[in-house]
Amino acid sequence: MNRYECLQSLMPLITDHLIVTSQSGQRIEWGSLSKHEGNLLLGEMGAALSVGTGLALALPKRKIVVLESDGSVLLALSSLATLANLEVSNLAVFIFDNGAYSGTRISEPSATGGRTDLETVARGAGIERSVTVRELAEFEKYAPSAMEGKALNFIVCKVQESLLHRDIPRPDLDLLENKYRFIRYLQRTEGRLPSFIGRG
Amino acid sequence: MEPELAIRLVTSLREAGIDFVSYLPESRLSQILPLMRKDPGFKLAPSASEADAVSIAVGTTLGGKQTACYMESTGIYVSCYQLLVVALHLRVPVLLLVSHLGGFDDQRNSFLYSLAGRRLIPQFEALDIEFKVLENGNHIEQDIGNAVRTMNALREPVALVFTGDFTT
Repeated sequence: MNRYECLQSLMPLITDHLIVTSQSGQRIEWGSLSKHEGNLLLGEMGAALSVGTGLALALPKRKIVVLESDGSVLLALSSLATLANLEVSNLAVFIFDNGAYSGTRISEPSATGGRTDLETVARGAGIERSVTVRELAEFEKYAPSAMEGKALNFIVCKVQESLLHRDIPRPDLDLLENKYRFIRYLQRTEGRLPSFIGRG
Repeated sequence: MEPELAIRLVTSLREAGIDFVSYLPESRLSQILPLMRKDPGFKLAPSASEADAVSIAVGTTLGGKQTACYMESTGIYVSCYQLLVVALHLRVPVLLLVSHLGGFDDQRNSFLYSLAGRRLIPQFEALDIEFKVLENGNHIEQDIGNAVRTMNALREPVALVFTGDFTT
């Protein structure tokens, strides 16, 4: 199973979800597959999970999806304990865990390529609905219910390292352009704007 | 901090429109937490790290909340990366409520805190985050209102640094 196949199978499940990605391959691949205005393609590691948590807290009726990587989650392990102790039931977290820092271009192994198991870490942090999937059929079994947004789901997707994202054009959406597109989408679908907008 | 000052601080936050606070608790301003917890005008998100608190604050602000992020001075070092690559890069306003633990006017300063306190202001300057140091509550209502207006205008985090009377 590779990440791109998983992302392809998520595509038909997207309705009015808000999707946050961390930096790296999932940002490029998801940005290429999906032009959904509810995408927030963050440009760094170690923050997508908590930004998604914040969105889930602010918008409890919306379904929030976070597309993360092993390296990004390992950079912010405290965010698992933070998330587990908040009242969040509208968040689906997919960790595409290839056990390596592919961005290094030398496939330097990450901790999950060694002894660390993110499902166990998440469960120990208090996230009960934590699972690991290794086959696309398993992913396709778990993804629809996670995307329904009725409970916090943490799905570690053990994927082969793929360099496909190097052959895909990178998203040309500037971070600020992305932010405003995202906010305008929320304005249309929620009927209100954040208080820092529209005070010209 | 005198209980009356804590009440004024919390009331000022509510009146300035703050309705969400992510935080890692600390020792100088901690009286504000039970007050906010009792106030239905606030939703709170305790965090295991100030780094999480900052990223959560960015998410809640994008989701329509007017958010503050409360921490002690050492939390700015912990969350520096998130402040830079998320809040400043995306230009998202967050009101940083920072106790100046270890600062010159910290009434409970000690050798444990002074090093971190001394370098807090240069840290804000390095991040180019607008800040104001409050030594007392003489103008707390106005200061908080000004900070919220400024952060919304800048579309960036703005910090209020609490020292002096706030640290007794």
